[in-house]
Amino acid sequence: MLRNPLRPRRRVLAHCDIPCGVYDPEQARIEAESCYRILEKYAASTDELFRQRCVVVKEERAELTKHHIDVMWHDYFKPEHVEKFPDLHDTCWKASKAASKVKQTTDIEAARELLGLIDKIDEMWKATGGPEKTRLQAAAA
Amino acid sequence: MSTERGRRRPLSSFVVRGLALGAGLAAVAAARTWFDIVEVQGNSMAPTLLPGEWLLVERRTYTGRAPQVGEIVLAADPREPTRELIKRVASVDVHAGTLELHGDDPLVSTDSRAFGSIPIADARWRVVARYWPAARAARL
Repeated sequence: MLRNPLRPRRRVLAHCDIPCGVYDPEQARIEAESCYRILEKYAASTDELFRQRCVVVKEERAELTKHHIDVMWHDYFKPEHVEKFPDLHDTCWKASKAASKVKQTTDIEAARELLGLIDKIDEMWKATGGPEKTRLQAAAA
Repeated sequence: MSTERGRRRPLSSFVVRGLALGAGLAAVAAARTWFDIVEVQGNSMAPTLLPGEWLLVERRTYTGRAPQVGEIVLAADPREPTRELIKRVASVDVHAGTLELHGDDPLVSTDSRAFGSIPIADARWRVVARYWPAARAARL
């Protein structure tokens, strides 16, 4: 069979690790808010079964929070963002650790701290043009 | 036998044909060392270059001078040398002998911002033109 002689055999990579390019700390925030609310309900309940379910679901949500923080940290933020925000790495690191703590404990203060750190990541995301660059813009009316 | 029946061709005719064929093959071989064709994979050079597009590349230019800012080059991926990257030259440091590569779409591109600068000598091929799809054929 003849192959098209114009068709290249050699492939070159316009490489991208993340083809989708959609990032938003809101994803982490929603999971962290779930943890916060679950911990409120956990503290208010005396039903042992319900409290056990709270712990299970809270741990799942905390793990998801951690994952979404990591995606922001590893994939969205670039070296020029670190230049702009020297505490970027420290904030993401603390946020990941806070998510771990929410996973390990039933302390609602840990969940509050986690939310505060996600909000700091959100500020950096907004200040680096994240909303315009990474989210699909709503069609103009 | 055939020489007895058919008209005998002068020996020079064969020599000329042989030489012409040889010269033709040599020219093709030479051209292939200067030029090549490549297919783009990945999105990091969008909107300039899209996945699946076919490009003409050449490697004579960079034997004479260093790549210049703005040119699109092929270079071995410093993190995995069996892969060949296509990126735009963002900066050149002639004293250090290094250059930085950026994708045209900074949001999705994995480039010098992630792996740092690379040796100038690693960028050997210059992208000349896109020839397919025909509707997007252009010099680059």
